[in-house]
Amino acid sequence: MVGPLEQAILALMIFVIMLGMGASLTPRDFTLALKRPYGLMIGVVSQYGFMPLIGFILASTLPVSDPIKIGILIMACMPGGTTSNIFTYFSKGNLALSVLMTVTSTVFGVILIPIVLVLYAGALDLDIPRENIIATLVLLLVPVAIGMVLRKFNANVGAVTEFMGSMLAIFFILFLIVSWIPRNWEFLLTTTWATYFGSIVLGLFGFALGYGFSILLRLHPRNARTVALETGIQNGPLAIAIIAFTFAGTEAQSIMAVPVLYSLFIVITSTMVTFWFRRVNTANEQPLPNGLL
Amino acid sequence: MLDQDRPWTAFYGPSVRKTIDAPKYRTIGDFISATADTFGDLPAFTACLPNGMNGTLTYRQADDMSDALAVYLREVAGLKAGDRVAIQVPNCLAYPIAAMAIFKAGCVLVNINPLYTAEEMAKQFVDSEPAAIVIVDMFADKLIEAMKGHPIPNVIVTRVAEFLPALPKMIVGAVQKYWDKSIHPIVMPHVRLPDAVNAGHAKQQSLHNSLETYRSDIDPDDVACLQYTGGTTGVSKGAMLTHTNILMNMEQTMELIPNLEKGKEVALTALPLYHIFAFTVNFLGFYSIGARNILIPNPRPLSNLKRAFENYKITWMSGVNTLFNGLNGEVWFQDTPPKHLKFASAGGMALQGVVAERWEAVTGKTVLEGYGLTESSPVLTFNPFGKTRLNSIGVPVPSTDVRCVDEDGKDVPQGEAGELIAKGPQIMKGYWNKPEETAKTIQNGWLLTGDIGVMDADGYFRVVDRKKDMILVSGFNVYPNEIEDVIAAHPGVEEVAVIGVPDGASGEAVKAFIVKRDQSLNKDALRAYCKEHLTAYKVPKAVEFRDELPKSNVGKILRKDLRAEEKMKAEG
Repeated sequence: MVGPLEQAILALMIFVIMLGMGASLTPRDFTLALKRPYGLMIGVVSQYGFMPLIGFILASTLPVSDPIKIGILIMACMPGGTTSNIFTYFSKGNLALSVLMTVTSTVFGVILIPIVLVLYAGALDLDIPRENIIATLVLLLVPVAIGMVLRKFNANVGAVTEFMGSMLAIFFILFLIVSWIPRNWEFLLTTTWATYFGSIVLGLFGFALGYGFSILLRLHPRNARTVALETGIQNGPLAIAIIAFTFAGTEAQSIMAVPVLYSLFIVITSTMVTFWFRRVNTANEQPLPNGLL
Repeated sequence: MLDQDRPWTAFYGPSVRKTIDAPKYRTIGDFISATADTFGDLPAFTACLPNGMNGTLTYRQADDMSDALAVYLREVAGLKAGDRVAIQVPNCLAYPIAAMAIFKAGCVLVNINPLYTAEEMAKQFVDSEPAAIVIVDMFADKLIEAMKGHPIPNVIVTRVAEFLPALPKMIVGAVQKYWDKSIHPIVMPHVRLPDAVNAGHAKQQSLHNSLETYRSDIDPDDVACLQYTGGTTGVSKGAMLTHTNILMNMEQTMELIPNLEKGKEVALTALPLYHIFAFTVNFLGFYSIGARNILIPNPRPLSNLKRAFENYKITWMSGVNTLFNGLNGEVWFQDTPPKHLKFASAGGMALQGVVAERWEAVTGKTVLEGYGLTESSPVLTFNPFGKTRLNSIGVPVPSTDVRCVDEDGKDVPQGEAGELIAKGPQIMKGYWNKPEETAKTIQNGWLLTGDIGVMDADGYFRVVDRKKDMILVSGFNVYPNEIEDVIAAHPGVEEVAVIGVPDGASGEAVKAFIVKRDQSLNKDALRAYCKEHLTAYKVPKAVEFRDELPKSNVGKILRKDLRAEEKMKAEG
């Protein structure tokens, strides 16, 4: 289902995406995070509290095979994806918070993902190669660091890298549509409704819980929108990469069905949510006169 | 003039010249070239886009390119000394190149707000009759309609990402064109700015000392800029600012901006360069000391400034009340204020005391408030560093006299309110083609500012209000600024504007328009708060909550628009 060439392309894409994430950061972003840990904690709780729990409930209640269960769990435990930043931007959310949440959930993920994954997998009696996952995650922090250095070294290189990274995150979906779907489309036809259902509602429940939780904690609507998108939108490419690098053969292919379907549908659901957010409230930006151009 | 006539000179720093007899350079063109020779390979201008993409020109590059463009204007476009050239671009690298070229060519610069509608542009074109225009591609589609009254023969088109490295330039261009869809096809004949520069370069090879000739064509007292003003008072008028006016004002202002190191400063220019304050102080003033000027094409939303603050060690910035107030409210700015900032300068509109105090609390640095008018190039007064007084516009800059006078033009006793009038080498030559308006504004060499002010015993001035904004409540003079300052200090208030409305009982009554910061704020609570701080007749009789307030191009709140609305309402 994923050949060596595709694996190489995939690895390269993830590398650039993570590079771009790093290039959007400066050390002061971390200072900022430490100064206001409240918002960040909400993000981490949403990301590694709610999402894995949603995944666990879906995996344990839906009539799906073991590999699909593993797929749902892995997808649910992923950190925020860089596409969330794009949707946050369009829904007039707090872009700085979104970028920060994506990064911190990625960094925290190195420790938290294996823990929650093993915990829920154990509860479902599934076998997960923990060490491989940790290794992949640690490896992914390398391009983030390189990205930060690039930006420090040259702001233009940083900005271009960041741009490329976020573009690639979108391009990734195209990659799936062009490369994966045509060759696996028989599989798509035979896949059960439950797999589709699980892959789609994972994101939707994420939006709802992230939003509800933020509102409950009286976050500013702008930040609530951000947390919602951040929670629902997971790093799909990362899930596919982890599966490609840790599992083998037909098992890997079945597991991968979930992140692939998730990645395809999350674009549609996020777009709908973004449109709704835009309608609900755009008046919260500080009003400045037009002429201050 | 003796020191006792200018008591404020006692507050100048030890290195400040008390009088400046003549500017160091004959014309702005001479100043630009000589300064470029001094600072050569240091970065002069950096355009920083919201995503951090940027481009930089050194002093030498900017000098060479503007030389070439000047040659283009004179030799290829066929302009003569004194011809007007309009610039309609936001803050980006094209701006300094175009402006410097216009001065070097001996032409007259006409600044035009890039966001003007075709109709507004047309009025300014008809009045100033430019022979050429440098315009940004985003707004060039308005030209056809705008040129109906006065067709401009030479159109030079530029772009926000002009002179950026190839890849960022391409990305920004593609995003603007295909994503924002902010760039429309330009149907009229035009030349691209880089092509014009190249054509000028080519022409330059075959000419000898052409630039020296252009410069000797002009006199220091020739008009350098037609700076349009009057947006807040009605008819738009072009203030004729001469080379001497602008060079003098630049020197006068820089005298009072201390502790600057030549070749080491980084200035943030978020205010539009077409505004006279940013033009004289940010652009020319900081150019004169070899600073690196960070140009922000669009500070809206304010998060667009984040990358500039992250990527550059900003040591000085200028702003208007609205900008400082906005930054005070941004979380990222509160958490990581610019640590290399020495101080900030405010102008353009009254800086509210509470905004200045919040700014100091956030950044740990002072805001020095200044005062001036387009008609005075623009700076008349500034707060001397280390001797700042809150709510004061400071003391007159060197070689400048300011007085407070009554209706008959007689000095009012010290400490009493009167109209501010000013005299100095920075006062404009007059309004372009409007001798009657000039005669009304400049009398016996004194510029009538239309502002009511008070001078304290030390010679510090305070602006009480605009003469025509004054409210007469049962025979008492009420100044909207005073009430606005009190209301703005309420934590639940984001912004406020106060005007007088007709009132049967008292002649006029005070009305406040408020944008809430805290949604739970109500009229009664606000009036109760005002009663604690203001005499009864000053407390707003009417309070209206709004989502936003009408503002001018630089963020000045437009009381006249509110008054017009009230008038319409009253007349049904």
